[in-house]
Amino acid sequence: MTDTHEPLISIDRLARHYFVGGETVRALDGVSFDIRHGEWVAIVGQSGSGKSTLMNLLGCLDTATSGTYRLNGADVETLSDDQLADLRNKEIGFVFQTFQLLPRASALANVELPLIYRGVSRKERRATAEQALRSVGLANRMHHRPNELSGGQRQRVAIARALVGEPSLLLADEPTGNLDSQTGEEIVRLFGELNARGHTIILVTHEPRLAARCPRAIKLMDGRVLGDGPGAEVAALQGPRAVGT
Amino acid sequence: MTRFLDNVAMALGTLRANPLRSLLTLLGIVIGAGTVVAMMSLTEGLRLKVTTDFAMLGPGTFQVQKWPAPGTFGHRDWRKYEQRRPITREQGEGLRGLPHVRLVSIEEYPNRPEIVATREKATRRNVEVGGVLPDYLEANGVAIADGRFITDGDVALGRRVVVLGPDVADLLFPGRSPLGEEVRLRGVPFEVIGVGQRQGSILGLRSKDAWAMMPWPAYEVAFGRNANNNVALVANTPEDMPKAIDEVVTRLRRLRGLSPGDENDFDYYTNESATETLDQLISMIGAATFGVCALALLVGGIGIMNIMLVSVTERTREIGVRKALGARRGRILAQFLFEAVTLSALGGLLGVLLGAGVAVGLREVMSVPTSIPAWAVLLSLFTACGAGLLFGIYPAARASRLDPVEAMRTE
Repeated sequence: MTDTHEPLISIDRLARHYFVGGETVRALDGVSFDIRHGEWVAIVGQSGSGKSTLMNLLGCLDTATSGTYRLNGADVETLSDDQLADLRNKEIGFVFQTFQLLPRASALANVELPLIYRGVSRKERRATAEQALRSVGLANRMHHRPNELSGGQRQRVAIARALVGEPSLLLADEPTGNLDSQTGEEIVRLFGELNARGHTIILVTHEPRLAARCPRAIKLMDGRVLGDGPGAEVAALQGPRAVGT
Repeated sequence: MTRFLDNVAMALGTLRANPLRSLLTLLGIVIGAGTVVAMMSLTEGLRLKVTTDFAMLGPGTFQVQKWPAPGTFGHRDWRKYEQRRPITREQGEGLRGLPHVRLVSIEEYPNRPEIVATREKATRRNVEVGGVLPDYLEANGVAIADGRFITDGDVALGRRVVVLGPDVADLLFPGRSPLGEEVRLRGVPFEVIGVGQRQGSILGLRSKDAWAMMPWPAYEVAFGRNANNNVALVANTPEDMPKAIDEVVTRLRRLRGLSPGDENDFDYYTNESATETLDQLISMIGAATFGVCALALLVGGIGIMNIMLVSVTERTREIGVRKALGARRGRILAQFLFEAVTLSALGGLLGVLLGAGVAVGLREVMSVPTSIPAWAVLLSLFTACGAGLLFGIYPAARASRLDPVEAMRTE
């Protein structure tokens, strides 16, 4: 082995099968790749390609049927529910398409959430959350509730929440899907800045145009990897079924 | 500590979000806790009042008599008491000199209440009169407000003197001292030498202050000699009372010529035994109250469970988000349990306030004796919290077991 640095993420023949009504659905069927610290990777594919399943597995929200997943040195498939919760809390910052902010809580309270589950004191929590909100440009929106914020602002709150615990991985699921194109563009630019500052980002999307802007993209189809390489090339790949139609 | 405060803050936040719904849910708990406090305040007040009101004897005193003790209820075979031989003055005197008995007060009473009159006024036929000795005062826990009580000299010289209860004195001599004045009982004139201190009434029903006591010889001039006497005995100390009772019973049986197998042909009672039956009655009311409250708390608990299940369903998405962000199962469980307990504790608190309000209202407005016992307040709060905990477990467990992916997908 010449590589002295272990990759942040290393998955090997990862599979997730669902058993529905006596039939086996192979949502993910043997996927392998590594992601290093500081990478910005798009996971792209059409709906049904298995990208949501993969995102749940990468996010430690779900466990694989077979295969292995190492995240920052931890063998994820051996962990208990509570250990997975701790791992999510420490290693992963989630950004969801529908923001998933708590409606009754202020922006600040939403951003504090991951720190609550880490047992950080109230004072420290508040200071850290305020810092995170400032870093996404929401210094003067801290006490607003989600319904008092625009879509782009909500997604910034979600990104601040994802960053507040300084996770090793930012996992974004269609982060621009509920935003107009201009706001979406701002969010993508924000990801670019975060990546430039050293954050590792995985962006799950069905849009080839978005994937093309990422330095690296992994294209899924029918639960398998169709292509893995520079974003612009992989995004343009057509699946076998698409050929000739 | 941070975790505890976080949970409380979250629970209160949920309450604030649905104030009306929360309040309605709490109604069962509020009523349960309120009933406990109100009923217990009532029975406790009654118990205290009964204990002081029925205290017709001095401390460490018991009384021997032919008739059953006052304050006893239920069926009595009155013929049995009728046929008993009287307790004679000689038998009473025979009880002096026992090792644990300090005072012997031999008292004779007519069969019914009497009238006390002056030339201008008369009481109704509601005055308890008696022929007594100086020891009567201490044995019956009476104090003198004005003048003096009967002395050995009054007895020896056959002075026609009387000590009046405050009700009698106030009625016959309003606004002035009756000392040295003349009153008549059955037409016989007596000089008033003293007035007793006010003692109040038995549960507001019967005054303890309508009495007139005379020395034996003077009493017998007006009422004739009674064959039957009551004998009040004061033990050396209140702790000596059981020994004193043993001695008196043994001596009296011998004086009355009873054989070892015979039943006592006399009764004796203490302040405590006089209130025993009433205490039993009050305890029964208490037990019935507990039944009602247990039921109300059960209903209240089910209400809590119902609302918590609704809350879990409504907040499925929130639970999913919290789990995704790293909340362990235990944290979700604790969060919802805290919410249930906070909810029920609030209900308990409202109930206690309500019950206490009813108790104070009864006392202030209707003069019903009530006294709010601290243990009833604590019991209500603890049981309310307990109900919240018990009925909150299932909804909380359900919340903690939700799958984050599924939960976040619900609308």
